[in-house]
Amino acid sequence: MTLLSIDFVVLLTVTAAVYFIFPLRQRWTVLLVSSAVFYFYGGIGTGCFMIFTILCIHITAIRLDWINQGQKAYLENNPQLSRADKKAYRDTIQHKKRLILTLGLIVCLGFLVFLKYFNFLSGGAFSLLGLLGISGTAPQIDLALPLGISFYTLQAAGYMIDVYRGKSPAEKNLAKTALFVSFFPQIIQGPIGRYHHLAPQLYQGHRFDSVRCKHGLELALWGLIKKLTFAEYVGTAADTIFNSYADYEGFMILAGSAAYGLQVYADFSGGMDIIRGIAQIFGIDMAVNFERPYFARSIAEFWRRWHITLGAWMRDYVFYPLSLSQSFAKLGRHTRKIFGSYMGKMLPTFLASFISFMLVGIWHGSSWKYAAYGLWNSTIITSSILLEPVYRRIEERLHINTQCFSWKFFQIARTFFLVSIGRIFSRADSFLTALWMIRSMFATFNPWIFTDKSLLQLGLSIPEITLVLCMLIVIFTVSLMQEKGIHIIQALDRQNFLFRWLVIIGSILFLLIYGAYGASFQASDFVYQQF
Amino acid sequence: MREQLMEILKELRPDVDFKKEKALVTDGILDSFDIVSLVGELNAQFSIAIGVDELEPENFDTVDAIQALVSRLED
Repeated sequence: MTLLSIDFVVLLTVTAAVYFIFPLRQRWTVLLVSSAVFYFYGGIGTGCFMIFTILCIHITAIRLDWINQGQKAYLENNPQLSRADKKAYRDTIQHKKRLILTLGLIVCLGFLVFLKYFNFLSGGAFSLLGLLGISGTAPQIDLALPLGISFYTLQAAGYMIDVYRGKSPAEKNLAKTALFVSFFPQIIQGPIGRYHHLAPQLYQGHRFDSVRCKHGLELALWGLIKKLTFAEYVGTAADTIFNSYADYEGFMILAGSAAYGLQVYADFSGGMDIIRGIAQIFGIDMAVNFERPYFARSIAEFWRRWHITLGAWMRDYVFYPLSLSQSFAKLGRHTRKIFGSYMGKMLPTFLASFISFMLVGIWHGSSWKYAAYGLWNSTIITSSILLEPVYRRIEERLHINTQCFSWKFFQIARTFFLVSIGRIFSRADSFLTALWMIRSMFATFNPWIFTDKSLLQLGLSIPEITLVLCMLIVIFTVSLMQEKGIHIIQALDRQNFLFRWLVIIGSILFLLIYGAYGASFQASDFVYQQF
Repeated sequence: MREQLMEILKELRPDVDFKKEKALVTDGILDSFDIVSLVGELNAQFSIAIGVDELEPENFDTVDAIQALVSRLED
């Protein structure tokens, strides 16, 4: 069942109807049952797997919380303990908690690693053995990935770590834990929620609010328009170039990569709008995952605006713990002795950033191309920090006004270009194909493709190209207004009745007429659903 | 302590008006690299150990909040 299927619409309608009939305090159970229906619809096996995962997460969190409570009570009841005694006690408890968390994470993340990366790791290991002269056939498994495993695993791992850190209490009710892990609109492609933000909203019964429902449906409608009238068509152009990459060179490769970047943005952010809109109907405000990423003026800023919940997860659970760990501090001290104070301070941070981005890369899939995608992003960010003094000097020497529009536009265009190169890694068939395409992109200078109608030969008809360009203007205008702090849906509410409904009905008709759906056109799955 | 803290912050980000800003982390003025550098400096200069659990926006959004965090950990 996908977000765009009739089955999902039926499930959503029935859920909404039953949710608002149920007693307020029991409404969360409706969401749980619908989530179970949604998940078991994908197969009994994956449903049972999900139940086992939830059990592991629940037991781990309960056990950690129990230790936290015990520690608190013990320290409160023994105020006479010396500072050294307290520290020794805390260290013992910490060791015990770390062991439990590690076991929980091994089970939770272990499934993800095994199911998603076993074939990749096994192939890599046997390739290495082959280099050493040991031949053999790498064992491979043929198991379908449980729906949304990459998303709910991170959400669940974050919850366990938060309980371990004492930031969140453990949920005592197993059924409520199950709802937190498996809430049906978000399970396929996020956003990756945090327990303290999402769980209370899920468990609290929400009354029917017509304005909130209307806003939710408007947001979902905007998401559908982005997905079905833009992502699907611009994706056709990207597919044409990437599927026959050997036939293209120079700016055509760049155009293909840019088209893919726009496709992924409209597809993923459109999916997020649909999911957030649906959740809003139930009174649940889900985390924001996108903040106009293509307005970013650097790659670092891009990652603060793109897939925000994944970036924040990596920052809080990988980057910060690694950067502040004792082993990284030790590395910093050693580096300082050899390379001086600056590198001593920065190298551990760079290394933590590199590891975080590699994880972001391979989180997308088990292939070297995704590792390269992570490496590309971390290299750009690291080099921009290292070279910042050089850039400042150049700006001063050339008397560049860094506050004017043209300079900011240049930075945005530069970031888009760098992001587009990274996209080649993530979209190409393989790492080697990506390298070939990048070489081909830089080897040929053919700006005439923008005037000689080459861009009209990418599998789209003239009306479809016109539609893509019109939608590009609409998405850009909406993004620009949001960037200026305008809340579009609320702004629409303030307009006259006639204009308001003209926009809403016009949008629905536009979707019905131009949307890529129906018997003759099967809308593809959301790009991030496959991750 | 205030002057010492302001010096660290000024050295870290000379372009930021720390007296005026009230949402250093929430508004993205300080990024994760800045936070790690700041924590390293605070740990070294005040002989404290800021843990990962303390890396919350409310502890770093204002100079007052950072000072409060340092004072709490010094105790």
